[in-house]
Parts: sequence; structure tokens; C-alpha cells
Amino acid sequence: MFLTRSEYDRGVNTFSPEGRLFQVEYAIEAIKLGSTTVGIRTPEGVVLAVEKRVQSPLLESNSIEKIMEIDTHLGCAMSGLTADARTMIDHARVTAQNHAFTYDERIKVESVTQAVCDLALRFGESVHDEEAMMSRPFGVALLIAGIDELGPQLYHTDPSGTFVRYDAKAIGSGSEAAQSELQDKWHRQMTLREAQLLTLNVLKQVMEEKLDQHNVQLAQVTPKGFEILDEASLKEVIEAM
Amino acid sequence: MPAMVSAAQPVQRSFNPYTENGGTILAIAGADFSVIAGDTRQSEGYSIQTRYAPKVFRLTDKAVLAVNGFAADGNMFVKKVRQRLEWYRHAHAKDMPIRAIARLIQTMLYARRFFPFYVYNILGGIEEDGTGAVYSFDLLIYFKNQTPAPGTAFPKHLPLSTVLPLVIDSFTSATERHIEVGDGLEIYIVLSKGSTALQSLQTIRGIQELTATNDGERVFVIRRELKKD
Repeated sequence: MFLTRSEYDRGVNTFSPEGRLFQVEYAIEAIKLGSTTVGIRTPEGVVLAVEKRVQSPLLESNSIEKIMEIDTHLGCAMSGLTADARTMIDHARVTAQNHAFTYDERIKVESVTQAVCDLALRFGESVHDEEAMMSRPFGVALLIAGIDELGPQLYHTDPSGTFVRYDAKAIGSGSEAAQSELQDKWHRQMTLREAQLLTLNVLKQVMEEKLDQHNVQLAQVTPKGFEILDEASLKEVIEAM
Repeated sequence: MPAMVSAAQPVQRSFNPYTENGGTILAIAGADFSVIAGDTRQSEGYSIQTRYAPKVFRLTDKAVLAVNGFAADGNMFVKKVRQRLEWYRHAHAKDMPIRAIARLIQTMLYARRFFPFYVYNILGGIEEDGTGAVYSFDLLIYFKNQTPAPGTAFPKHLPLSTVLPLVIDSFTSATERHIEVGDGLEIYIVLSKGSTALQSLQTIRGIQELTATNDGERVFVIRRELKKD
């Protein structure tokens, strides 16, 4: 298997004769090993939900952080090598703050997504005299949720630096089953509550363990802003399922 | 020997990168419009450099910037603001709202805290909510809509039919009293979406429309002669 590719899957910025960048493709594969992450856009706001794999009963599940705030009106959920996402989210936060500082307005969801994707393709650029800054593509995909003057929006980014807007999207290990479930159940006039329940139902179907308030995380962006649901409100949604 | 004597004296040297090129600008915000005007004379001391150097510039269909002070700095500043507006349009697929332009100008001015642009700016136009707005700047920061002192008997907003004669009379008077004002007058009018002030513009001699988009806001300019002496 590797014999046929041996020359071209080494360099991060070398195209194979068939026109492929293997390291980028492998990075996209890395996401399929990550925990399942779901996002749904509704007219009332956007909901994000992630599965937290609690590998040991001794593990403090609230220390697993897979949904993060970018700005008051922007949130982000991740799947894949979550450590890589920290670099990207840090960049997104700086971009959002710079925008607010310079223009006294909230940055658009698409603009912040574009900023993150600009960073995604900076690998192999480490010719900067100093030490290498990024030696490989990011091994993480993001669901970026937010509200701006165009209403609630959900964007998906991957290691190739591509971004696409979705009404509902699933990424990670259970994404195939989750995505087809979303395709069946999503509708245009969904309420925020319906979206919360749908994300959890979708996660429940693809998770190995029984879903409870310790092994999932739920967040939403509404006109009031970004918020991660605390354990009590999460429990309340789970009980309503 | 004389060289040694002069070397012993303290010599003060100076760097004068600025000059003052005169002229006057003003802006008045109405309920749903904004008027921004400036004369076109550019002078230095007693000599007129040109009788037509515009000081008022259309930035977008919602914002007009007037620049006064050192003309070279003013022109370069407008050029830089316009460049930032174009970058913004490419990055965010929309025209920059006037509030954002005001903040951008403040950031650009303050970035030159220790070698300022010698320019006094006034930015007039229409806010996102359709109201008329005027932002004025010193060398470094902005102030929004200057309103009359509390308790004084001015109406909050004047109608456009009152504002235009007022502007023309003000410049005619200023031309009489100040040597650096005169030659020509340019009055820019920005109307918000569906503004009723449109009617009072129809009959004005030589009015020219500069609107570039179909967003609903409209920009007009009126040009008048001022005394040239």
C-alpha cells in the first residue's frame, strides 16, 4: 500500500503525480477518528453538541473542553486533534478582538471562519529564519457557530482550509450515521429547543456509552450570545429527550 | 578662526513638516439626512495655491468625509481611509457602516499619536438605523453629533430646506470675513432610505447625484461660486 505513495506522502507541500496532497488527506482522516460533533442552525440560533469520551472513571469529565467561545456572538466545536484547535481558536479570538477594536462592531461569522482557514494552509511555510512555526496540517475540523447581521450561521472548516456553510453538520467518528439522521430530521422552522433535542438524539445514536450530562457538552449561540449549557440545564434537556 | 567662534555658539535647529492651508468645512445632521460642505480654496499665508482643491469626499453612499488643515496630510489621509474601505469591502462583502468608519479613522489618527496627520476631519452620513449622523475629530479621536447645550431653545433637527440656505449663507459670510475662505463651495447631501427631504432637492439648480449602489441611501452634490477676492 505505502510502496506506491512512498515518494509523495512525505513532503507536506509536494503534490503527487495524480494531483493530491497526501498529508492533507491524512489530516482529514484524523478527524474521522475524533469524537462526534454536531451543529444545527435554526432561525432562533445555532446549537453545538459534542461527545466527550470519558476513558476512565477516574477522569474528571468537566476537564474535557471541546466547545469554546471565540467572541460573545461566536462559538466553536471541534473534532480531531483538539490540541491543534487551540492554535486556530486563539487566532480566531485575536481576529475577532482586532475587528471590534478597529471597527467598533462584531465581526461576521464568515469573516472569522475565513481568518481561521487562512491559517490552516500556513503549514510548510516555515522558511521564516527562526524555528519552524507549523510543520504539518492541522488535524482538526471545526464547526463555527455565530450570529451576525445575516442571522444565525453554521460553518464547517477542515484541514485543507476549505469552509462551507451548513444548516446541520456532523463531524468525527460517528459523522456518517449522524449526518444522515440530521438530513432526515432537520427542518427549516426548527425551534432552538427542537435543535437541542435533535443534537442529543443524534449523539445518543452514535455513542457507545449511555448518554448523560457528563459525557456530552451542549452550547448555543442565540441573539443573547454564546453560552455553554451548565450541567443542570444539560440534565434538564437530556431528561426531556 | 571665525569657524571656531560660531561653533562655540548654541545653534537651535528645527523641523517644520507642517503648514496650514486654510479653508472651512462644516456638517449638519438632520433627522434622516446629513449635509457636509467645504470651500475649495487652498492657500498658504497671503497666496492662493489653487482655487479648486476639494476638501469634501464621498467615501460610500452612506458616508462623506471633509478634511481640513494641512492639505498634503489631508489628501494622503483620505487616500489611506479609502484604501482601508476597499480592503474592508473585499474582506467582509459589504460597505463599512459610518460608525465603523468613525472608529477606523480614530484608530488611524491615534496610530500617529507621535507624528500626527495635521488634519481636522468631519464625517457625515447615515447610520445603520437610517438617522443622520455627524462625527467630528481632533487630531487623534472622535466625538459624535454635537448637540446644543441643555436648556437652550434650538430644535433637535432642522429640515433640509432650512439647512441648505444656512450653509450657503454661512460660507458667504465666512468668505467676506476670512482671507483663506472663498472661490468655490461644495455641498454634499446624504439622504437615508426613503427620506422625505428628497422633494426639497428637486428644484435646486445644478444639483448632481453621485449615488453608486442600490442600497437606498442617496448622495448629491451642489456646487456654488464664492467670491474670489
